[in-house]
Amino acid sequence: MLRLIVRALRSRPGRFWMTVGGIAVCTVLVLALQATHRSVAASVRTYLGQPGMDLWVAPRGSDNFMRSSALLADGMADSLLSVDGVAAADPVARAFVTVKSARGHGPSVRRLALMGVGYRAPDGLGGPPMLAEGRAPSRRNDVVLDRAAAWRLGTAVGDTLWINGRGGIVTGLAEGTNLLATHLVFANLSAVAGMSGIRGRASFVIVRIAPDARTDVVAEAIRERFPALNVFARGEFLAANLREIGAGFLPVLSLIGLLGVLAAGSLIALLSHAVVEQSRAEIAVLLALGSSVRGIGTALIGEALLLAGIGFVTGFLMIRALDAALARWWPVVLLPVSPDGAAMVLTLFVMAGVVAALLPLLGLRRIDPLEAFRP
Amino acid sequence: MIVLELDRVSKTRGHGRRAVSALREVSLAVRSGELVLLEGPSGSGKTTLLGVAAGLLTPTCGGVRLAGRWLGALGQAERRALRATRVGFVFQRANLLARLSVAENVMLMGAIANGGHPTERREVLRLLAMLDVEPVADRKPRELSGGEEQRVAVARALVHHPAIVFADEPTGNLDGAAGRAVASALTVAARECGAAVLVATHDARLHPYASRRVRIEDGVLLPYTSLTPS
Repeated sequence: MLRLIVRALRSRPGRFWMTVGGIAVCTVLVLALQATHRSVAASVRTYLGQPGMDLWVAPRGSDNFMRSSALLADGMADSLLSVDGVAAADPVARAFVTVKSARGHGPSVRRLALMGVGYRAPDGLGGPPMLAEGRAPSRRNDVVLDRAAAWRLGTAVGDTLWINGRGGIVTGLAEGTNLLATHLVFANLSAVAGMSGIRGRASFVIVRIAPDARTDVVAEAIRERFPALNVFARGEFLAANLREIGAGFLPVLSLIGLLGVLAAGSLIALLSHAVVEQSRAEIAVLLALGSSVRGIGTALIGEALLLAGIGFVTGFLMIRALDAALARWWPVVLLPVSPDGAAMVLTLFVMAGVVAALLPLLGLRRIDPLEAFRP
Repeated sequence: MIVLELDRVSKTRGHGRRAVSALREVSLAVRSGELVLLEGPSGSGKTTLLGVAAGLLTPTCGGVRLAGRWLGALGQAERRALRATRVGFVFQRANLLARLSVAENVMLMGAIANGGHPTERREVLRLLAMLDVEPVADRKPRELSGGEEQRVAVARALVHHPAIVFADEPTGNLDGAAGRAVASALTVAARECGAAVLVATHDARLHPYASRRVRIEDGVLLPYTSLTPS
């Protein structure tokens, strides 16, 4: 019976598909926001989760790579080597730098603020996690640039860049280093420290522990030996960084995402309201014949769920297509949609659809079955 | 057997100075197999009487017994269930659901009456054949003539074997041949299906088909009835 009632009360095709389109756009919006955060978090994981970067040593008060100021003497790395269980210790300098592409002057010069990472190139800890092209820096002026940043600057391997006013040669392009709001650029420790005015200093020291050593034991040994330092295991440091990223992004993304869900809910409410008004005569007939308000309401909620479902699937396919197109033509923004994220958004849309359909259903009670008798 | 009994039923619409007596102490009984015409001018209370008799309106005073149950003793849900299972309706406009086919319109009524299980298509087709509209079973209502639409509406009213069919001006919008076809269909309802049929009308073409005629004016059922042999 429900199937017949659903068909009998179905909204007009034009209106239905316009609503589906609106819900699909809302889906794209919400999934894109979610994917944006996911993309940044994935880059953070890719860089900080590199094998061999077992412990992060920082000055007291610094607990993340992304947004804390941290300065240590770069000789601290050599001091840490004397701790039992430490196999390698490399300093990393992190500083925001201004990068200009050398292609032209005046308005044609492209300029970006990037996060410069200086490390003991080419083999020290803290270098680029993956190279899409080229090689790691080896000479003082070599730089490896995030692939998306290179695209934005219009540079390629072999080109010259100006970093804080000093020339550098792009020797490679890195992947997994796109933080969206900024990108990572890698160079020799001395070069980054020099151009940032922190010569002889490092931001962190990364420690690789010996194969037979335990991370917690080594961390404790460092804390005992250097009580003024913070020592973080890789997972702990990664979590702190993800928390920082979340603190910056998530409130805004959540608010805009919520607005997207509300917009989708409003569309469903509008359509459900239109269906009730447009089908008033049919509903009066059904009520006169003995249908229950609940039965008709269930049919309308079914229609709302159908809308939410088709709208979501359309939006999901759209964002997959958009992600593929962006990767090909504008690789600055990546939109990787996860199955669990998509399931969460679908759940939100279904809930919004049901709530939105409930409001117009209140109007059902105002329809008098006697309206069926009107000529 | 008496299927519908109205016992001194009155119905007042509105309140205070705006109160209008739509029905005044109306008493009426309709038996199985009877086709009763309820005649009267527009605004005389015919539709109100149908509404009260079908349990769609609550009388201000008096009682209504429908299919053996006093409506005053039933709650809203019970009245709705009684209407779904024991009552059929034919409206002035056929009021078929435009997106469903003819057969589906009839099956839907079966589903409403049978707790969600639609009547079998075979049975629906048999009923449509009885009313001479079986060839249009798979068409949409907009593809039918007015007479065909009303005969389908009669089929919808009969598919769940109701005890009584209420028809409100069923031939009001139809020309001669179509009107006669609908009148025949209502006669089928009464004589072959055994339902009581109460038809509100001022169409004199229905007189030859009626078992009995009653007249209502200003909400008062006139004391005389015109009985005609069936």
